[in-house]
Amino acid sequence: MDPPAETEDPRAAANGENNHVSKKPKLSFITEPEIRQEFAHHKPGIARINNGSFGSCPASIIAAQKRWQLRFLQQPDDFFFNHLQRKILHSRTIVKDLINADHVDEVSIVDNATTAAAIVLQHVGWAFADGRFQKGDAVVMLHCAFQAVKKSIEAYVTRAGGSVIVVHLPFPVNSNEEIIAEFRKGLARGKANGKKVRLAIIDHITSMPCVVIPARELVKICREEGVERVFVDAAHAIGSIPVDVKEIGADFYVSNLHKWFFCPPSVAFLYCRKSPLSPDLHHPVVSHEYGNGLAIESAWIGTRDYSSQLVVPDVLEFINRFEGGLEGIRKRNHDAVVEMGEMLAKAWGTNLGSPPEMCPSMVMIGLPSRMGVLSDDDALKLRTHLRDHFGLEVPIHFQMPRDGEIRAADGDGCITGYARISHQVYNTLDDYVRLRDAINQLLSDGVACKMLQRE
Amino acid sequence: MASLHSTHGTTHKPESITLSELRSEFSHHDPTIARLNNGSFGCCPSSIISAQQRYQLLFLRQPDYFYYNTLKPSILKSRRIIQELINADHVDEVSIVDNVTTAAAIVLQHYTWSFFSSSFQPGDAAIILHHSYSAVKKAVQAYISRAGGHVIEVPIPFPVKSDDEIILEFQNALQMAKLNGRKIRLALIDHITSMPSVIIPVKELVKMCREEGVDRIFVDGAQAIGHVEIDVKDIGADFYTSNLHKWLFCPPSAAFLYCKMSDELSNMHHLVISHEYGNGLAMESGWVGTRDYSAQLVLPEVMEFVRRFEGGIEGIMSRNHEKVMEMADMLSEAWGTELGAPSEMCSSMVMVGMPACLGIKSGEDALKLRTHLRECFGVEVHMYYRAPIEREVDPVTGYARISHQVYNTVEDYHRFRDAVNKLVKDGLTCSLLPN
Repeated sequence: MDPPAETEDPRAAANGENNHVSKKPKLSFITEPEIRQEFAHHKPGIARINNGSFGSCPASIIAAQKRWQLRFLQQPDDFFFNHLQRKILHSRTIVKDLINADHVDEVSIVDNATTAAAIVLQHVGWAFADGRFQKGDAVVMLHCAFQAVKKSIEAYVTRAGGSVIVVHLPFPVNSNEEIIAEFRKGLARGKANGKKVRLAIIDHITSMPCVVIPARELVKICREEGVERVFVDAAHAIGSIPVDVKEIGADFYVSNLHKWFFCPPSVAFLYCRKSPLSPDLHHPVVSHEYGNGLAIESAWIGTRDYSSQLVVPDVLEFINRFEGGLEGIRKRNHDAVVEMGEMLAKAWGTNLGSPPEMCPSMVMIGLPSRMGVLSDDDALKLRTHLRDHFGLEVPIHFQMPRDGEIRAADGDGCITGYARISHQVYNTLDDYVRLRDAINQLLSDGVACKMLQRE
Repeated sequence: MASLHSTHGTTHKPESITLSELRSEFSHHDPTIARLNNGSFGCCPSSIISAQQRYQLLFLRQPDYFYYNTLKPSILKSRRIIQELINADHVDEVSIVDNVTTAAAIVLQHYTWSFFSSSFQPGDAAIILHHSYSAVKKAVQAYISRAGGHVIEVPIPFPVKSDDEIILEFQNALQMAKLNGRKIRLALIDHITSMPSVIIPVKELVKMCREEGVDRIFVDGAQAIGHVEIDVKDIGADFYTSNLHKWLFCPPSAAFLYCKMSDELSNMHHLVISHEYGNGLAMESGWVGTRDYSAQLVLPEVMEFVRRFEGGIEGIMSRNHEKVMEMADMLSEAWGTELGAPSEMCSSMVMVGMPACLGIKSGEDALKLRTHLRECFGVEVHMYYRAPIEREVDPVTGYARISHQVYNTVEDYHRFRDAVNKLVKDGLTCSLLPN
């Protein structure tokens, strides 16, 4: 079977221009029934409001992926010698245009953000080992950095003799200025004893709790404070906020394509800014292409199923079926999730974790204090209970009050639990109504987290 | 999604697979190609592809549920099947990773840390075979040489007549290292070399390493499982890895890494660090971030598949070997050439000498010839260039690596035979082939 048709002018498609030059005239946008069909494989009866964790993939992309998988199985040698590298380059080129990178060499495709973190941090580990970095030199991370990234720092930085500066950001939060001020303070404090800061890892959108970080401003502060390199972990970003890597100005930038960009599990891009001083990163899985640059190394890490990396052109086609393309999807998701967030906050008498302009396609909504989310364990128990008893898939966050500060409260006490709701093209109003009613049900039954079984 | 998840040796005996069912299982293979290179990328029957797609769909349907409830127990089930297949003592010793390339990087990075922490000294050595897989050699460069280690390559004769030739070379290399005062920290030994393909007497080499005080031994059995017998306790290495997608019918891709129980095992880590960091290599490998793990989950279905063959996996292995030897003899006779190794050193792959008049004078020539055979004759076969030894008379410089797997028919080899005969008749040499 022939590979899927290449999309014309991917940059135009990504920016949502509907009058780009194309051989095929667009007849109409995707319809509601077509959208339902594209996601008909989602388990019915589940209100799926956790797109942030594992993303989603439409049926037509799954079909495209299967075609690539079959191509390989039909004649793997021919696929390896004649098609694979070319197709990966095509995907990389599309990503380069989407994120406004200068050179396609700067764009590597890897499995996921977790892998990208290991690539950058392994490089830091080597620098300690061969004496380029001194013992005690520091790496900066946010307190709410994704747990896998924290462990990666432990495995590659702490183990190699580096130290870690942890910067706490406020949550709930009211403005970018609060974040910028806290970051500046935290960084200065961390550097106080003259530590050399080799790398700062900054989230573009924190995972839990979920907030859009003013990454550009924080990168600037890092430069001002003499931080050698900056790595922006934007796992959630592409497809949920605009991404312009030149504008953000970081040395490394990673985002998953399977969360908000409709790719199958899993695929991510790692952008590494080219400069005379840019370091030599390597993929940890070393194969034939070792030494040919990270992008080329990443495109062959032994026999694997690379099909999820090859459907990026098909994804652009899919996105283009929506009015406004990617930008249209993004905006509608954002508006819908904010609307739903406000509906829930009103129904429960609670708050949003951040103002709408700091929300991507996800929102943190305070849970009524009577739910009694008093630990990470409580949060997980509640999440499991909502899944098993209400068919609701929604992650729950426990926000430890810091320094005795009460940042949010309702009529009954401190708000320490937040639900992270998401909106993607497959969601309907009913998903959120069910969440609203489930929590109300639990409250009216007098159920709090401490009564829930550990399942 | 019911599947028989009992281990082999069960009372349930599945229906024997018929010839037409077998053809149907591999009907997705390109019918215009004589597929004689199972060693590179393996193969996967349709019923396993379907099983894999069921797992993929399960995840896509409700990923959170899959992550919390299904993934871990499914990986554990696969690990237990492998544990039994390879005769490992504890399931903790068995991790599932993407491929042998990844397993090699995991083991080698572990030793990088030993250099960093000064448990190893600069100049301490790793010993590998000259014919070790090129990606593994690069990994040795990336993780051992770069960290200050010295690399000793053991020359392996080819063509080869007996195990003794290999054992002797390895012995010499160990002795040389001793004379030079080198501490050998790690020996990396292939079970079946890739190119040229030969079964290495691993058990003897491991024994020799132990006697000579080599710290740790890592057997690269990339081609081995489903192909030759593997008993990790009998082989006695510290680490053993093999790809499941080459000869054990898994989809691309999955491999196991066996690490003999030791204090050191708790300090071995996957390269991609995630939530399970510190919980043991097997746990760490079971979650390296959001991924498609489906290729690792189909071991129960694979065991069902192989049980449909007479003698199960052992029957498949022994028939593959028999058949490939028969075909190799047929080809070498037809071309007037020799085999690269005797039958007992061949697995289900054999190196068959190519007629000298084809003029294979370099690795590039071998690749050009391979491409030509693919494009003009529909034959997919791996080609090896063997550099002649100084003053060698009438050297044989080209060998084809033919394979036999359950989907092959005698026509595949006839097509190859006839293609080469035609090239010889037409007076083709590699120098005439395009780049």
